[in-house]
Amino acid sequence: MSVRKLLTEVFHLDLLGGLWQTARFTMTRKATVPYPEKRLDPTPRFRGMFGFSEERCIVCRACERACPIRIIYIDGHLEEVEVDGKKRKKQVLDRYDIDVKRCMFCGLCQEACPTTPKAIWLTTKTYELATYERDLSLYFRKDRLQSWEGVVAYPGVVAPADGQTPDDPGGTGGKERG
Amino acid sequence: MTNPWVVYLLVPMVKIVVILGAITLAAAYLSYFERRLVGFLQIRLGPNRVGWQGVLQPIADALKLFSKEDIIPTRAEKLVYLSGPVLIIVPALVVFSVIPFGPPTNLFGLLPQAIPPYLTDINVSVLFVLGVSSFGIYGIILGGWASNNKFSLMGGLRSAAQLISYEVPMGFAIVAVLLMAGSLSLVSIVEAQRQAHVWYVFPGFVAFFIYFICGVAETNRNPFDLPEAEAELVAGFHTEYSGMKFAFYFLAEYANMVVVSSMATVLFFGGWLRPFPSWGWLGFLDVVPPVVWFLAKVAAFLYCYIWFRGTFPRVRFDQLMALGWKVFLPVSLANLMVIGTLIVLFGGGR
Repeated sequence: MSVRKLLTEVFHLDLLGGLWQTARFTMTRKATVPYPEKRLDPTPRFRGMFGFSEERCIVCRACERACPIRIIYIDGHLEEVEVDGKKRKKQVLDRYDIDVKRCMFCGLCQEACPTTPKAIWLTTKTYELATYERDLSLYFRKDRLQSWEGVVAYPGVVAPADGQTPDDPGGTGGKERG
Repeated sequence: MTNPWVVYLLVPMVKIVVILGAITLAAAYLSYFERRLVGFLQIRLGPNRVGWQGVLQPIADALKLFSKEDIIPTRAEKLVYLSGPVLIIVPALVVFSVIPFGPPTNLFGLLPQAIPPYLTDINVSVLFVLGVSSFGIYGIILGGWASNNKFSLMGGLRSAAQLISYEVPMGFAIVAVLLMAGSLSLVSIVEAQRQAHVWYVFPGFVAFFIYFICGVAETNRNPFDLPEAEAELVAGFHTEYSGMKFAFYFLAEYANMVVVSSMATVLFFGGWLRPFPSWGWLGFLDVVPPVVWFLAKVAAFLYCYIWFRGTFPRVRFDQLMALGWKVFLPVSLANLMVIGTLIVLFGGGR
């Protein structure tokens, strides 16, 4: 029996390599993120909770039609408005509901939205969507719409700071529709 | 301290309570350290939620196990099933009665005279430890059989086969130490290492290696954890045990780890002796109490146990058998012959 064979078959010195490997990993930084204390910042394209701006919405229902599982519910009515002395009819939003529980965050509603910047977008980087009651996540109710203008945020959504521009993917950086 | 009630009843009773409490606590915390350390080895954090860095985790686990429903399978052999945990925990704890934790001490002058910190020193300690710790196998086999579950039975049988394979080379490895020390008493073995001016791991490295590997195999730990191989046997012999009965199996496994580590310390690493006990210039190490040296060595072995678990994959059963019978048995015999010859030639033993 050669010395090498003796060392590997009796003393299993080849296993020391494995021990050395794990000993090194004992010292390295851990991959675990201790979640509640430390949060990861999602990537810019991360699709999280909705942002919705009632002001920008033109009630075209494109998102409602684009939704593959029909969880967007939109109600509106026509109102007479006077623009430049002429009477015109304009759609006014009554209801904009999303069944967040069933949403799969595919982002098709955002793609379908014709306004610039988008009236609905998913890149709010919010992923803490758990609620204590079913009702809270049942609908994306109007009184909880995420919007930049004085709307109460959905639970978990961090309200933007004053003057912060919406994070619109492919948007024109806040340029209003001409 | 001449009152027989004090000498023969009170002092041993206090020692028993202290040793039992310490061992139980140590076994519980060993599970915490194991989970933490295995986590670290796998670039995880391990349990760190209960208390500061998770130090209260074993207590939370114990409370959980206390409050669990105690299930006895309908078709289990009831008496044997219930005696399984007892049969394994009792030997695991009884062994500690002869483990010498340190030399006689008066606890920094607290006691009027020096008393040994171990419970007793019998002149066949080594045989006692081997015999009693092997008795724990009955808890595994009977528990596995009485559960009336194929996985449990397979686990119990594997455990028995493993014990037989590894008890023999382990015994030969210990005989090498006995030849060098000339005594079966664990205290005398430590004293012999002091007089020989050397830990027995240096002349008997092969014996130590075989002893420790066999110890890992005997305690059914990775990479020799075939009796409870999760991938094949669910949980092996304790599949059907729940609540405190499971806790007993768990505790016994960790207590057995401590036993094997303590025996390795006493037999090969000079027990409570500081490193290189004959080198005068290392005398400053004597400020550390001997008990601390002992515990530090035991902790190092326990670290190795967990390190192995985090590193090695489980061996196949035929590999396990081949290693025991074809490699360790002849090597330990050859080692015994070499050491015996050297002792005869150079008169190392007594």
